[in-house]
Amino acid sequence: MKKTKMTMMTLMAGAASLGLLAACGGDGNNGGNGEGSGDGEQITIDIFQGKVEFRDQFLEMAAQYEEENPNVQIEFGAVGGGSDYFTSLRSRFSSGDEPDVFSLAGPSELSDYQDYAEDVTDLAATDTALEGTLDGITVDDTVYGIPFNQEGYGFIYNKQVFEEAGINPDEILSYEDLEEAVQTLDSQKEELGIEGVFALPGSEAWVMGNHLANVYLAPEFNNDVMEAYESDTVQFERGDEMQRMLDLQNEYSIQPVLNMDYSQQVEQYFSLGDAAMIQQGDWIHPTLEQMDPEFAEENVGILPIPLEGEEGKVPVGVPNYWVINSQTDQEVIDAAKDFFDWMYASEEGIEVVQEQLNFIPAHENFEPENINSPLSRDIYEYSLEENTIGWIFLGYPTAWGDDFGAHVQEYLAGERDWEDVLEAGTQEWESSR
Amino acid sequence: MRNKDLTFWLFLAPVILALGAVVVIPLLAGFFYSFTDWNGLTFNNFLGLEHYLRLLDDGRFLSSLWFTIQFSVVTVVLLNVFGLGLALLVTQKLKSSNLLRTIFFMPNLIGGLILGFIWQFIFIGVFSDLGDLLGIAGLDGWLTTGTTGFWGLVILTTWQLAGYIMIIYIAYLQSIPEELLEAAKVDGASPFQRFRNVTFPLVAPAFTISMFLTLSTSFKIYDQNLALTDGGPFNSTEMVAMNIVYTAFSSNEMAYGQAKAIIFFVFVAIIAVSQVYYNKKKEVEM
Repeated sequence: MKKTKMTMMTLMAGAASLGLLAACGGDGNNGGNGEGSGDGEQITIDIFQGKVEFRDQFLEMAAQYEEENPNVQIEFGAVGGGSDYFTSLRSRFSSGDEPDVFSLAGPSELSDYQDYAEDVTDLAATDTALEGTLDGITVDDTVYGIPFNQEGYGFIYNKQVFEEAGINPDEILSYEDLEEAVQTLDSQKEELGIEGVFALPGSEAWVMGNHLANVYLAPEFNNDVMEAYESDTVQFERGDEMQRMLDLQNEYSIQPVLNMDYSQQVEQYFSLGDAAMIQQGDWIHPTLEQMDPEFAEENVGILPIPLEGEEGKVPVGVPNYWVINSQTDQEVIDAAKDFFDWMYASEEGIEVVQEQLNFIPAHENFEPENINSPLSRDIYEYSLEENTIGWIFLGYPTAWGDDFGAHVQEYLAGERDWEDVLEAGTQEWESSR
Repeated sequence: MRNKDLTFWLFLAPVILALGAVVVIPLLAGFFYSFTDWNGLTFNNFLGLEHYLRLLDDGRFLSSLWFTIQFSVVTVVLLNVFGLGLALLVTQKLKSSNLLRTIFFMPNLIGGLILGFIWQFIFIGVFSDLGDLLGIAGLDGWLTTGTTGFWGLVILTTWQLAGYIMIIYIAYLQSIPEELLEAAKVDGASPFQRFRNVTFPLVAPAFTISMFLTLSTSFKIYDQNLALTDGGPFNSTEMVAMNIVYTAFSSNEMAYGQAKAIIFFVFVAIIAVSQVYYNKKKEVEM
C-alpha cells in the first residue's frame, strides 16, 4: 500500500516537472520567425514597430492586403514611446524571437542592427522616396530602410487667438517679428482669455534637447543627418540664438515650466485655448482631434521657428524607417518587399495609405490635398517647396539629446549658466564619439 | 524521516527549474556580461574591470546612488514612525478601527505607477491651487526642483507603504499580554511610560523586520520614481534602478548597465543578509 502511494507521488511529481518543461519548450518554438508554415503556401510577416498611433489603421490596411494576397498573413505589433519600443526590440532580438520587419529611427540605431538589415536599394518603395528622405538609412550607397512618412514641427498656434489679437501669422518670419507678436499677445492676455503665450514643457527633455536644439544645430551640419552622425564634435555656432528663443518661450510661458509635460502642454493648455502657441509637431493632430475635432480642423496653424538667414523653414524629417530582417527566411523577405512596394508605390496602396494613415508622405505620387490633418498639409507644402531644415538630431550620439535637454533644464532652473550648458554639451558629444 | 529521495527532488524540480531559469542563470550571465562589451545582442571583447572602474568616475551614477541612500534613510524613518503610529491608533478600542485599518492599508493595493500619476497631479495641480488660495508660496512649483522632487517621492512612498508596515506592528501589538499593561497601570505608570517601558520593548522585534523590509523596498523603488518625476528635473531625482535602466536601454550600454546592476545587487544583498543575520541572532537569544 505504502509503495503504491510512493509510486503515485513520484509519477505526479514527474508529470508536474514535465509539464513545466513542456511549457518552456512550447514557448520557445512558437515565438519563432513566423516560419511555422514551411510549405510555402502561407507566409507570415511579423512586423514590430514603435508607433502606436496608427495601429488600428495599419491593421485595416493589412487586412485589405491579405485579402488580395491570401497566402500572406501580416502580424503587427506596436509598442509605444521611443525608449520602450527599443527595449522591447532589443529583448526580442536577444531572446531569438526576432521580428521579420522592424522600425529604426536613424543612423545611430541602424549601426546597432546593421547585421540584421536587408539591402532594399532596388525596391520601388525606396526608388520613389522623396529626395533626401533616405539619407538617414543609407550606408555606402546601400539603402537599408523604407521611410514611414515625414513629420515636421514648429510653433503650432491658435488661429482664433491670433486673429483676435490682430496678428497676421504670414508676416511673422524673423525672430524680431515673433518677439513683437509675442509681446502683443502678452499685453492682451486678459481680453484673449489666455493664461500665457507659450506653454513650454520643461519636463520633456526631448522638446528642448532634440527639437529646439536641432533648429540651431542644423546649419552647423549643413542640414545633413549623416554629417551630424559622423561629426566628432559640436560647436554650437548658433548657441546664442537658441538661448534667445528658449528665453522667449520661457519668459512668456505658463509657469512653472519645469514640471509641465507633453500632455499638459498639448491637452490641458493648448487644446483648451489657454496657450496661444506651442512648440510641437503635426503628430499632435490625433490628440487635438480627440479633444475637439472642430478645433483641430479649423483652428490650428504652424509657424516656422525663426533661424537667422533661414527664415520661413520648417524642420522636416523621417522619424522612422521600416527595416527588413535579413536573417529571416528568403520567402518572408520577398513577401515583405512586395508588401512595402504595394504600400508605397502602387496606386491602390497609396490611396489606402493616404486615406487611412494620415501621413505626410515621404514618397512621390501622393496628393497633398488628400491629407486629413491641416498641420500635415501645411508641412507637406513646406516640404514640396523645399523650405525645410533637416532633422539632424537623429544623428546625435545615443542619448545625447536627453542629456543636453537635462542641462537645458538646469539652465531653466537657474542652476547652470548658458555657457556652461553649451560646454557640457560639447564635452559629452566628444566623449561619446 | 528520510527526505532526500527521488520524490523529494521531483517535487522540488519545478521550483528549482523555474528559479534557475529566471533568477540564477540571468544573474550569473549578467555577472559575466558585466566584464565584457556586450551590447545586448553580441559581445566581442573581454574588458575585465573596466566598467567597474568607470563607475567610480560616473557622477550621474554616484549622485543617483547618494540620492537613493538619502531617500532610503528618510523613508525608513518616516515609514516606521507612521506605521507604528497608525498601528497604535487602530489598536485602541475605537468603533471605527476596522474601517481605519482597511483605509490605511488600501494605498498599498494600488500600483506604484498609478499612485505616481495621481500624486503628480496632486503635487502639480492641487498644491498650486491650494497655494494660490491660501497664499502659501511654498506650495507652488512642486517637482520643479530636486528638493521638492525628493520630498514628493518620500511623501508618496510613505503614504503607500505605511499601511503595510502598520499591519506588521499590529500583529506584534496584539500579542502583548493585557496583564502587563494593566499591572503597569495599577503601579501608576502614565500612558507614555507604559508605551516607553512596556509596549516599546515588546514590539522591538517588529522594528528589525520592518526596518529591513522598508530599507530594501525603498532602495529598489522604480515605478513610483518613473511615474512621479521620471528622474526630472535635470536627473536630480533619478534613483539607482532608473539610472540602470537608462544606461542599458537609452544609452544602449548594456554591459555597463549590467555592471551597475551588479553593484546595486551587492548593496541590496548586504541589506538582506544582515536582516537574516540579525533575525537569527534574535531567535537564539530568545
